[in-house]
Amino acid sequence: MAKELHFESPSFGERIKGMLGVDFYRLFHTPLFYIFLAIAAVIPAMILGTSGMENPQTGEVAEKLYTNVWHIIAAEKPLYVVSSIAEYANMNMVFIFGGIMVSIFIGHDYKSGYVKQLFTTHAKKQDYMISKSLTCAFAMACMCITYLLGSVAAGLLTGLSMEVNAGSLIIAILSKTIMSLGWASLYTFLNIIFRRYFGISIVSSFFFGTGILIIGVAAILGNSSLLNVFLYGSSVYACLSANVVTLIVCIICSVAWAVIYNVAGTHILNKSDVY
Amino acid sequence: MNAIEIKGLTKNFGQKQALKGLDMTVPVGAIYGFIGENGSGKSTTEKIICGLLHQTDGSVKIFGREQNDADVRAKMGVLIEAPGCFPNYSVWNNMMLQAANLGITNAEQEVVKVLKMVRMEGAASNKYKNCSLGMKQRIGIAMALLGNPRLLVLDEPINGLDADGMRIMREVLCDLAENYGVTIIISSHILGELEKIATHYGIVRGGKMMAEMTAHELEDSCRTYIALQTKDMNRAKMLLGCKYSRVEEDEARYIRVYDEAAPEEIVSYLYKEGIVVSELSTDKIGLEEYYIDLMKEGRQ
Repeated sequence: MAKELHFESPSFGERIKGMLGVDFYRLFHTPLFYIFLAIAAVIPAMILGTSGMENPQTGEVAEKLYTNVWHIIAAEKPLYVVSSIAEYANMNMVFIFGGIMVSIFIGHDYKSGYVKQLFTTHAKKQDYMISKSLTCAFAMACMCITYLLGSVAAGLLTGLSMEVNAGSLIIAILSKTIMSLGWASLYTFLNIIFRRYFGISIVSSFFFGTGILIIGVAAILGNSSLLNVFLYGSSVYACLSANVVTLIVCIICSVAWAVIYNVAGTHILNKSDVY
Repeated sequence: MNAIEIKGLTKNFGQKQALKGLDMTVPVGAIYGFIGENGSGKSTTEKIICGLLHQTDGSVKIFGREQNDADVRAKMGVLIEAPGCFPNYSVWNNMMLQAANLGITNAEQEVVKVLKMVRMEGAASNKYKNCSLGMKQRIGIAMALLGNPRLLVLDEPINGLDADGMRIMREVLCDLAENYGVTIIISSHILGELEKIATHYGIVRGGKMMAEMTAHELEDSCRTYIALQTKDMNRAKMLLGCKYSRVEEDEARYIRVYDEAAPEEIVSYLYKEGIVVSELSTDKIGLEEYYIDLMKEGRQ
């Protein structure tokens, strides 16, 4: 320790590298991450495995939700108004579970007092938003992959048709995975707003993750490509008839919302008391 | 240049005003004992200095810069209430995570160094949640020392420490201030311990600074008193109470006369009344008594 006083703090790159290092270390060392990866893999397998099963008591056979295994990844068409649970239950479910995971992950920062330790260093609020959004986006992207693996494994076991336009399927999967960034930023933002209320954070994440607002709007206005500009809308837009435009829309939408939520979250953190 | 200069600091929590125009000056290299009752505004002031809370009004300058300046915060080490550690991680991992946040390049060496300073190197592999309260406080201090800070803000750091822990802490803090010019703000209710290390004091009450002084000024303003014992304590106390303005009996059953009186004058006065003084000494009140007196005056 020297007596002279020099003011120099790390550059943005150095700061974000340190913070990402901490967040990724935490992510890989928390059972929560692996539990949610497992949940993402098990959910499609359970849905595919149980649909069309015979009820042992009544002997009735339930109607099969899907005839094609890829329907559990994405809907046939971008249907914003949900008419059956099968149209709804696809890879978008990852973003609902992902929201809960983000809430727990960020909530732990406040519960443990880690933010107190962090924000009394040179760390900036903007770094925090960026680091959390990127880490949680990575976690959700991983969940998308395990969801895909679970779906394929269950599809092979149940013997459903696997016929699909491979190009559209790949674009749909890629587009949904890219949407992780936008969703993660939204959840980070919500958790910043409700940082003192863990329960409300989880409920709000679940509320937005299910896309209830957009489904409600679509029920009144009908299917409209305008809904693609919202996170839920563009996630639904990434369907089995997706093309390059779908991918571009999803990239723009995900990045745009990530920027908006990060700027808004940074503003809130800068203007309010941290701890 | 002062390490900290606070002027007219106010902080409102809704309708409640926690700080009411607090002024504070901490010279560079000082160990500043920050004293006050519970709810007097000590922690709020410290949190504002650290950037955890925003002030409603007033200015806070740290080394001549705004307290939210990232460059300034890079020079600060903080322990507010308890360290913010992940309970399921080891002490070592928690320290390494903080080192990563601070962008320390030689993190392992630095962590070993600060753990040694607080004599916690042997507990590095322990899970944080399994550490005792005293150990956690020491870990918090070690975390605050990461990155060679020039300003340490410590809120109740010696709470939960045993006698040995307090001695270690005293040595560490004195060493930092004397040999490295680190400025330290330390709030504590253990005034006896604070008295051993503080070079400056700030006494806060009801969100305002009541008094700021150096340790020498405190010593000068601490009243001397004469303590005595006799066989007939009650009568002696009554007689002295008639002659002198402030006479009290302390916990050790000594009568204390706070007025400026010569010991021989008291002895001869009591002797004339038929009371023999068996023991007599002169002494000064300590920080704790001075503080209690000040608080009493403030209430009146």
